[in-house]
Order: sequence, then structure tokens, then C-alpha cells
Amino acid sequence: MIMPLINGLKITLKHMFMKPVTLQYPTERPNVAPNFRGLHALKVAHNNAKCVACYLCPTVCPAKCITVQAGEDENHDKYAAVYEIDMLRCIFCGYCVEACPVDALKMTQTFELANYKREDFIFTKQALLEKK
Amino acid sequence: MVTLTIDDKQVTASKNATIYEAAKAAGIQIPVICHDKKLNPFGGCRMCLVEVEQMKGRQIPACTTPVTEGMIVRTTTDEIIKARKMVLELLLLKHPIDCPVCDAAGDCDLQNLTYEYKVNTNRFQDEKFNWKIDYENPLIERDMNRCVHCGKCARICDEIVSYGAYSFINRGINAKIGTEYDGPLNCEFCGSCVSVCPVGALVSRPFKFKARWWAMNKVKTVCGYCGTGCQLTLGVKDSKVLTTIYDENQGFHNGQLCTRGRWGYQFINSDKRITTPLVKKNGSLQPATWEEALNVVSAKLKEAKSTPDSLAALVSPRLTNEELLLTRKLFKDLLGCDNVDHSAGYAHTALTSGAKESLGYPASPSVVADVQKSDLLLVINADLYQTHPVLGFEINLAVKRQGSAIQIVSDKKGKLSKLPEAKTSIYKPGAELLVINAIAKVILDENLLDSSAQSTGGFSAWQKGLESLSVDQAADQCGIAADEIKAIARNYAKAEKALILLPTGMGYPGHGKELAQAVINLALLTGKVGKEGSGVLILGEKNNSQGAADLSIHPTSGGKSALDIIAGCVSGSIKTLYVAGENPVVSYPNRKLVETALEKVEFLVVQDLFLTPTAAMADVVLPACSFAEKDGTFTSALGAVQRVNRAINPVGESRSDFRILNDLYNAVSGQPAFTDVKAAFQELSGTVAGYAGLSYDTLGDEGSVRPVSGTATFVPVAAAAPATESGKLALVTGSALNHSGTLSVYGEGPMLVCPEAYVELNREDAKSLSISDGDQVAIKSSTGELRLKAKVGSRLPKGVVFAPYHFADASINTVTAGSAVTFVTIGK
Ligand code: SF4
Ligand code: SF4
Ligand code: SF4
Ligand code: SF4
Ligand code: SF4
Ligand code: FES
Repeated sequence: MIMPLINGLKITLKHMFMKPVTLQYPTERPNVAPNFRGLHALKVAHNNAKCVACYLCPTVCPAKCITVQAGEDENHDKYAAVYEIDMLRCIFCGYCVEACPVDALKMTQTFELANYKREDFIFTKQALLEKK
Repeated sequence: MVTLTIDDKQVTASKNATIYEAAKAAGIQIPVICHDKKLNPFGGCRMCLVEVEQMKGRQIPACTTPVTEGMIVRTTTDEIIKARKMVLELLLLKHPIDCPVCDAAGDCDLQNLTYEYKVNTNRFQDEKFNWKIDYENPLIERDMNRCVHCGKCARICDEIVSYGAYSFINRGINAKIGTEYDGPLNCEFCGSCVSVCPVGALVSRPFKFKARWWAMNKVKTVCGYCGTGCQLTLGVKDSKVLTTIYDENQGFHNGQLCTRGRWGYQFINSDKRITTPLVKKNGSLQPATWEEALNVVSAKLKEAKSTPDSLAALVSPRLTNEELLLTRKLFKDLLGCDNVDHSAGYAHTALTSGAKESLGYPASPSVVADVQKSDLLLVINADLYQTHPVLGFEINLAVKRQGSAIQIVSDKKGKLSKLPEAKTSIYKPGAELLVINAIAKVILDENLLDSSAQSTGGFSAWQKGLESLSVDQAADQCGIAADEIKAIARNYAKAEKALILLPTGMGYPGHGKELAQAVINLALLTGKVGKEGSGVLILGEKNNSQGAADLSIHPTSGGKSALDIIAGCVSGSIKTLYVAGENPVVSYPNRKLVETALEKVEFLVVQDLFLTPTAAMADVVLPACSFAEKDGTFTSALGAVQRVNRAINPVGESRSDFRILNDLYNAVSGQPAFTDVKAAFQELSGTVAGYAGLSYDTLGDEGSVRPVSGTATFVPVAAAAPATESGKLALVTGSALNHSGTLSVYGEGPMLVCPEAYVELNREDAKSLSISDGDQVAIKSSTGELRLKAKVGSRLPKGVVFAPYHFADASINTVTAGSAVTFVTIGK
């Protein structure tokens, strides 16, 4: 009757002195694979977002969580006056990156996306711009 | 008929058909780029190559090759596919691949064919074009770097629009579509070229970057501007109308629109729309709830029920048939008030009294198909092109493609005068009636009348009325030489098929009952009514003017007409005035008088989209919906009853006129007049002549031309010599091409091209008054005085000036008071 209990306790005690297998997050950081699909970033070239507001990513997005609104700049060119992703709805499929004809979008290794308010999950263009 | 084999399929086609047309009719699609069913065959792009066995398998263009008996055609052999691929490769050689930023993407023939034929590499290499892009004109962005040289823009502008803004310039690889001196485009901006451009070389500037093609809902409906009744597709996203979309299969006009139909949609989602009811409190209009506003209005209506003579309603012919029916039920049947009218009372009399008395029905005896079947078109007033532009396209086609002759009698020249071999006879302003009577007199004198005329009712009385008319004297008075009048009369009488076109409208007080009767007399005299390609088209001005005439939205049992209602407001006999969609302050004669009337009337309700100068004077303003926010039907000037479909949700708290009127009906009587629009249409089809047999559900996308029937009679019309005042200029009013009524001024497109009121003068007059183009001038009549911008040109004869009536800020009714001609002095 008592034996199984002691055997169990033995295993517990043994593991107390072994190296832990779980990651000690947040003191330890995970090694995120380079092709991990985390938070999106809008790539920047010549100090401007590369995005030309072609609307292909909102068109392909299965979660319908991307909002783009095109604008016309002073050279009559097209740019994204609004670019927003609702991270609460995103399923991190990466279709948007694949659809982009000008390679303006990527997914980063950032995965810590928790927040307190719903509004804070809507990432604006400013928040999405690639940080160099 | 010819029988041939296409892709092993037996096909019969008319002997004038091309291989492309025969294949299409048999359900076999041959790809095309430069072909358009509306245009003459061109054969420029070679995308439509097919093989014909009898031609030893040579590849020939399907779009230009006529079918022959026994022809054996193959449309998709390996060789053909190879050839088509090469065509695409060559086009893509110079074409910038900027689909991501090109508004045509998704609706681009080049993109679609490239995808279909899997052209993903290119054997050839060259630099791209580097043409300067035309950003300078307000409506059309022209990027010739994207052009595939199909020539459709130049061809449609020449063949159908008859403007001729474009042509190919330069040679070889440097060839491109150029404008006059290769400068920025400056044309009538009908947008036809943008519609047919297979790529994104021509795109709409107001719509630029607003949405992608595939993200929009496409809603078929009818244009809400003029009586032509063009069918229209609205591009809608997020409950906003973003653009108009071209659909070559819509309507008699094959999807073509005029400048206001194409670009004038922005009023629908304009920031200036009224979004809540407004009620006057302490002297100013304050936002209110619907309940409050409707309570105030219904209390007044109930009060007026015991004294229906003190109540009056002015209703816009822009409302749907169902709404007009509801107006009639509410005011005439329920409240017992016959003081109901529209269009200032005079702009509909050509139909409601003229045609009604002469033909027995308030409509035209002819339909649009008659235009292209006619041998001679007799156009009364060259402004027809301004009032009904897409009908103008039909006239262009009749003259240029079918070889009809065209005779214009007018007080000014116009675009139609420039058609090949067009004859224009200019009369003195106000003499139109005299001219028509003189033409009829010549026909009588020379015994050119049709045998049917004498047996038509009223002939002898009418003939008697003309006995005293001397053609020479009339010629003297009207300003057209007697020989010219005689020639017109002979040509008209002798033409096998001749059609008279008479535009009407608020800008044309002279085009009323008498003129309509005079032209109908003329048509009856020569036996031209009731024959294909012949007859008379009397063109109501607004989108549903014809509907309003069919439904008798005017006094029918002794009530006051619009102008009497205004007078009644001034004298105090009208105490409550209900205005639905009309803008009398700007568009009725004599602005001062109308303003006095609206100030004096005790209670004024205005139901409108905008806070117009009329609405600003109201005690209660009810926000109404535009045509894009409601369902119903319009009847075009050409007799087609067509469905209007709701494309977006009502803007703000606005409600459809139908709902507002139905709620008021409910408040007054205790039950609504109709359960819904469909029920209203049902009642309409049971009570309005010609609508029997139409059903709301089966009207479909095409609509249906409702029949007319009645007994024609001659009605005598006396014509006086036109008035003259020495030393003064004769002012005539009318429509500008970019505008329709007072609604289009809320559209961004029309305002980009024609933003303000103006007065147009002849060069000589301008010179003698030392006025140059663009000057501000003072124009003065016995009614009032106004400052307007001068526009100097050669369209008008000496001594005549013209002003359009659409603009609220400097409305021409400040100086006019409803006569066909106003004598004015002009100075700086
Ligand atoms: S990752 Fe997928 S779900 Fe998320 S935004 Fe991109 S396409 Fe949409
Ligand atoms: S697909 Fe690329 S270019 Fe297009 S809108 Fe998305 S991020 Fe911008
Ligand atoms: S907008 Fe109309 S008039 Fe102007 S160039 Fe195009 S087709 Fe011609
Ligand atoms: S501008 Fe458009 S319609 Fe005109 S030739 Fe070029 S591709 Fe054709
Ligand atoms: S002709 Fe009249 S109905 Fe047709 S598009 Fe122009 S305004 Fe609209
Ligand atoms: S479509 Fe036949 S040659 Fe262009």
C-alpha cells in the first residue's frame, strides 16, 4: 500500500535534482526559428514602406483581418494611407506575405502579442513598420 | 444566312456577320483586344487570329473577316495559341507591369489574357515607354505607357461621341494616342474612352485608387439625371457608391453614358447630405428626431384636410413612379388637394397638355429605336445634345453610320450642327412655333401632305387657322429665309421616314404645349406618326419626367399649377406648402418672387437630399434618399419602364421618399397606403394606361417599353411673331452638358469641369461690349440683375446670349421670369 507512494516520491525527488526540460520563460528566451510566422512587419526601402497598397493581402487573407486604404502621394503614386492588421483575428497563415507582389511584407519572430485592451491588438501601419 | 463550321460545330450566321460574331453567337469565345461590338471593325491587335481551312490554314483575324458559306474555322489549334502568345509577349514587351498600382487590374483584358495564355516569360527585350502622364485634366488620367494601341478610345470618340479628341500620332514603335498638339485632354468628358480602354491607360481620376475592381459590388440601376434613362452599374463598397462601372450589355446605349451619368455620382455620398430631420425652432433649423418632425408635418396635413385649397405640393419628377403614385394618393385622394404640380408647371406641358390633346396620351409616339431607322432627323433646338446627351450619341450614329440626314432648327448652333452634312437653320429666339407653323404652311401650299391627313380629326379647323399665315412674312419675322423654310418643308414631307426630336425642360419655357402640338400637327400632316423610323420624340427633362406625366402629377380637376401655387403663397391663399425634391428658389422663374412666396407661406416642408436654398427656408426639412438608396421604377422619355435598385444603405438617418410619404399617409389616415414598393407598382399597373401587364418582378434588368395608344387630332396653334426690343440682347436659358437640374452641382465630377454659372455671348457682341472671355459682367433685365462670368464663343448668333440654369449661387432666374426670351443689357 505504501510502496507505490514511495516509488512515486522517488521519481519526484530524482527530478528535483535533474536539469529541467521546460523553458524557464520569461527569464529564458526561446530560440525562434527563422521561418516562424509571428507579428507582421512592413518592409522599408528608401525610408518608405515598400507597400504599394495593391490590396492583394486583404484579398487573400482568410481571416479578413487586414485593412488597406490607398492614397495618392504628391508624385501621383499609390501608397498605403492606412494599413492595419487585427491580430485578434489573424491566424498567422502567412498567405499575405506570399501574395505580396512587391515583397513588402514579412512575418517576424515576435510572438509576444498579449495585451490588455482589444484596441491594442489592431496594429497600425506605424506599429507594423519594420524596425531597423 | 450562311452556314459554316467553327471548331467542328455547325453554325448559321447572317451573311454580314464576322467570324468572331458567328462564333460568339454559337457560344465559342475568341479572345479580342481591339474589337468592340459598338465600333467598326479594326483588326489591329491580331489577338483574334483563327485558321480557315479554305485559306490553306492561314491565320486570319476573326473580328474583321466576314463569314462565307461552308467555311471551316478552327479557333484553338496549337499554332494559333502560339501566335496569340506571341501577340501578348509583344504587347508585354513595352507594357509596364504595374498591375499592383493600376486601377484596371481585375478588369484588364491584357491581364486576363496573359493569365489565360500563361505568358510568364518573354523572349523579347526592350526598354519600356517613358511618356509623360496626363494628370492635368480633371477627370481622366492618361498613362500612354500602358496603352496597347487598340485604338478603341480614338474610334469611340470619333464614331459614336463624335468629338474626335484623339488620334494616333508618331510612327512605328513610337506611335501613341495623342490629343490636339499632344497637350492635356480637354473634351466633353463623356468617359466613353475610359469605358472601352482594355487596359489601364485611361482611368478615372475621381475614382483613382479608391477600390479594387474585385472588391466592389456591382449594382445595376438607372441613371438618376436625365430623361434618356440610361442603364447604369454602380460600383459599391462599404455602402458607398465609389464609381460607375461600364457594362457593354446594358441598355439601348450599350453601357455608354454621358459626362454626368459617368462622373456625377458623388452627390450620393456627399458630405453635404442632410442626415437628420430639421425643425425650425426660434428662427433657425435644428436637428430633430423623425418622430418629432413627422408629428409636426402630419398635424399640419390633418389640419389642412378641412381646407384642402390652402394646401399645395410641388413634387420632383426625380422621384420613382411608386413615390409619385403615393404623392397622388396622399394629396389628391386622401387630402382632397389638387394643387399638386412639378417642373415649374410649364416644363411638362409639352407632354401633359400638348401630346395629351393631340395624340390622346401624354407621351411620345416614337421610341429610341426609331432614331437609327429614320431617313431624316428634324431636331428642334440644338441643345438636345445638352439635355439628352446619350440620345445625342444615337443621333451621331444615325447620321454617320446609317446615313440619315439631319436638319436642326434652333436659336443657336450646337454640337449636332457639326455632324456631316448637318443643316442648321437659326431662328430668332422665341420664333420656334412660327417656324414650325411656316413649315406646315409650305407643305399645305405645295400640296405635299399625306393622304391620311385630311381624314384625321381637326384637320379643317387647323388648316383654317393657318390660312392667314404668309410664309414670306413668317420668314422675315423668324429670321430664316423663306427658301430655307421651303426646303426644310419639302425635305421633311418627302422623306420616307422622318423623326422630329423636341427636348423640353425647365430651361426651355418656349418648349411647351403649343410647340409640341405644332410639331405633332406637322408629323400628322405628313403621315409620319405611327410609322417605324418616323414620328415625334418629346423628351422629358428629368429621369422620371415621363413617369410624372403618365401618372398625371399635375392639377387635374381645377387645382393650381406650380406658378399659381407660388402666386397663391404670395397672396396668402396657400398656407401649407409641401416640396418634395423640387428646388423652386433656383429653378422656377423669378427667384425674388419665389423667395417672397416661400417666406410668406405659413408652413413649408421640404423633403430633399441637400439643404438647398429652398430647404433653407423651410419650417421642417426631411432628409430623403438618393436613387442609389431606394427601389422602384423610372419611366424614361423614350417610354421604357426600368427598375431602380437599391445599392447602398440610406445615408445618415435619411429615408426614402416612399417611406416618408407612406408614414405621413399612415399618420393622416390611420393606415399606410402600401405595404411596400412592389404593392405600389401593382396598383400602378392596374390604374395607369400603358402599365397594364407590367409586373415589378418581371421588368428585370432590361426594363420594358410601355405601349401608348390614343386618337390623334390636329390642334390649331397660333404663332405670334417673336418679340424684340431694340438695343437689348435676347437671353435664352437652358442646360449645360455637365449638369442636370439643380442636383448635379452636388457632384464632384460635373463641378470639376463646369463649376460655376456663366453667360455665353457671341464674339461680335462681346467685342462691341468690350467683354473678353472670363470677365465678370453685369446682366440686367426688368426682373433683376446678376453678375456672371462671360464665356465668349461662336455658338450663338449675334444679339443672343445664353445662360444655364443649374447654379444656386448666381441663378439665372434672378433675371428671368418665365418667358421664352428675356431682354437684357450686359455691361461690365
Ligand atoms: S497571416 Fe493569414 S490571417 Fe494573418 S493577416 Fe496574413 S493572410 Fe491574414
Ligand atoms: S500585398 Fe503587399 S503591396 Fe499589396 S497591399 Fe499587401 S503589403 Fe501592400
Ligand atoms: S471623354 Fe469622351 S469626348 Fe473625351 S476623349 Fe474620351 S470619348 Fe472623347
Ligand atoms: S489608350 Fe486604351 S483604348 Fe486607347 S489605344 Fe491605348 S489601350 Fe486602346
Ligand atoms: S444621357 Fe441622361 S440618363 Fe444617360 S447617362 Fe447622361 S444624364 Fe444619365
Ligand atoms: S480583336 Fe481582332 S484584330 Fe484585334
